[in-house]
Amino acid sequence: MAMLDGFRDKDFLEQVTILNEIAASKDISNLPGLMDLFRRPVGDTSIDFMVVNALTAVLSGNEAKTVEGLASGNAGYRTLCIRVIGEYGFSSAGPMLTSLGENETDPDQLQEILSALSRIEAPDALPLFRKHSQSPDAFTSALCVEMLGRMGDTASAPALMALVEGNETDESYERCELTTWKAVEALAALGTEETLGFLVEKLHHKNPTVRRIITDTLVHTGEPSLPLLSRVFEQGDTDEKILAANLLGFIGHRKGADALVAGLDKGLAGDANVRYAVYEALGRIGTMKGLICLMDGLKETDELILMAVVAALELHVSPGVIKALTALLTKANEQSDRLARAVINSKAVRLFDALYEFEGAAAALIDALAESRDPEILEAFRDKLEEIGGDRAEEDLARLPRDVAAARKALAADDSRSMLALHRSILTDLGFEPLTGANGQEAFAFVEAGEPMELVITDMNMPIMDGMELVEKLRSTEGYENVPVIMVTTESEASQRNLAQKAGVTAFITKPFKPDALKAKILEVLGA
Amino acid sequence: MDVELAKPFIKAAVSVISTMAFITPRAGKPFVKKNSVAQGDVTGLVGLTGEKNGSVSLSFSKACAVAIVKNMLGDDISDIMNDVKDAVGEITNMVSGQARAGLAEKGLVFQGSTPSVIMGDGHTISHMARTPIMAIPFETDHGGFTIEFCFE
Repeated sequence: MAMLDGFRDKDFLEQVTILNEIAASKDISNLPGLMDLFRRPVGDTSIDFMVVNALTAVLSGNEAKTVEGLASGNAGYRTLCIRVIGEYGFSSAGPMLTSLGENETDPDQLQEILSALSRIEAPDALPLFRKHSQSPDAFTSALCVEMLGRMGDTASAPALMALVEGNETDESYERCELTTWKAVEALAALGTEETLGFLVEKLHHKNPTVRRIITDTLVHTGEPSLPLLSRVFEQGDTDEKILAANLLGFIGHRKGADALVAGLDKGLAGDANVRYAVYEALGRIGTMKGLICLMDGLKETDELILMAVVAALELHVSPGVIKALTALLTKANEQSDRLARAVINSKAVRLFDALYEFEGAAAALIDALAESRDPEILEAFRDKLEEIGGDRAEEDLARLPRDVAAARKALAADDSRSMLALHRSILTDLGFEPLTGANGQEAFAFVEAGEPMELVITDMNMPIMDGMELVEKLRSTEGYENVPVIMVTTESEASQRNLAQKAGVTAFITKPFKPDALKAKILEVLGA
Repeated sequence: MDVELAKPFIKAAVSVISTMAFITPRAGKPFVKKNSVAQGDVTGLVGLTGEKNGSVSLSFSKACAVAIVKNMLGDDISDIMNDVKDAVGEITNMVSGQARAGLAEKGLVFQGSTPSVIMGDGHTISHMARTPIMAIPFETDHGGFTIEFCFE
């Protein structure tokens, strides 16, 4: 008590020094004196604030005293002890804090208690977390739901699933609740076959945000979700297959690639869109088996799928890949032309770099490049050729068209690299300068930057900002009220066309399509 | 853990706006945002570093921002654009400061950046994050505003 004797009569600087010393020493003998100052503040805001700090410091060094404080009749001191327990992880407070929580009726105070309990992960508190996981206060229930997952409470799985499903009713599906977000994460944390299976089943949740959270969570969960996703890939319909292939690709685990390759071998990827997704995924994962599969994919005749194959191989340039590509490119047949175009249109600069060494392959590529009218592509390969240098590169550089910049601009938004590459090549063929974005937001940035567009092509489902939102934003932007917008959809998204039309889409095209079909559609909407 | 961070911001927003502008906001039901884009007519944005890294934004509708400025400055408005910018910046700063003090009491220490203010009817700004973004809508008698949180 000695240090705090006559504290109230001392001057400001002395008081500051004493409190600082106590905070540094954490000497428990000062506790009674500090408690007195806490209960009856001196009235100077800075000193009173320092008293709280000193008290926190002293308590932080003494777990038993802090836990004792939970029984204090002074509400302020009790709250302080609750916070110290949480901050310093005093786990012995678990039982007492739990019983305090059971009798607490004030929502703010309850939140304090639950928050401290969550930080010490007190096992006794599990029933309390279960009870308040249904709380009408979104923050309280979200915290409790999160804890049920962290504490591995499998008994709560049905309740957590009910939360996710409850966000799917006609009245509720438009907004993603905090508890739904936390319930998805908790179900993933539980990690049982049942809970992960439930999440996989809910990949098509009615709310787009929940869908995205489930997707991200499953990708984050990684290996444990592989068998479930592989099963969906095997047994699901076309849409489910595509989604499963995408997720397997994002997880990037070898076993995922094995499942995809096995699926291809079994003829499960007859649908062009599924094959496209499989090739993209194999490119992301990059196992030996996957690469062999991709090499087989070089025989694909659909330009779009071929571009997906090339884009995937671009990520795994190796002597084997280059050798096989060189052989195919020098055949001088229809397929070698297609392949050369795919390398150029998907801007596969690394493949180009490695292939350029071989004269026959280089000639095929340069032929394709010389036909390109896309300034961005030309510039990328021009830079590469300048970097390679030498007489042959100089000659080839001279063959490339200059100043092809088109006056007319068009915007394309798609989260698939290969689809974007296809849009680029179609738009440049039609004399447009294409501006592209990997989602609605990136694409809209061009509009905000004041680029005038004559045409917009957009995918429906994209991360960050989907096609629907992009169209809505365009239509409310001055000068974009009537610009033709073509939306690319899959068969199964047909049900949402009505909404998209209301948002202002001019025309639709269903994937997969031949480049000529999109060209015709573009000319149609432009009234040409 | 991220939901715990929100409460002090709600408290701070209600306290700052009712004290400074005599407008009492009512917090609505929080939700998870569909995308990372904040939308509004005037937005104050602060970056936070420390326990976690992230950003918090307060996006006001035009009517709400103007009502705040009028209540803060009375009839002494010289340049409405500048005054709105200043007021929203100041309010964001105060909310950030008060909320961080609240968090520090719980042992969660954050540093806040100087706020930036973005103006433009129906503008959008992006939070840089891969994690879901929490939004809390507020209603006032003069239109609404939204607080958004985004942490790594």
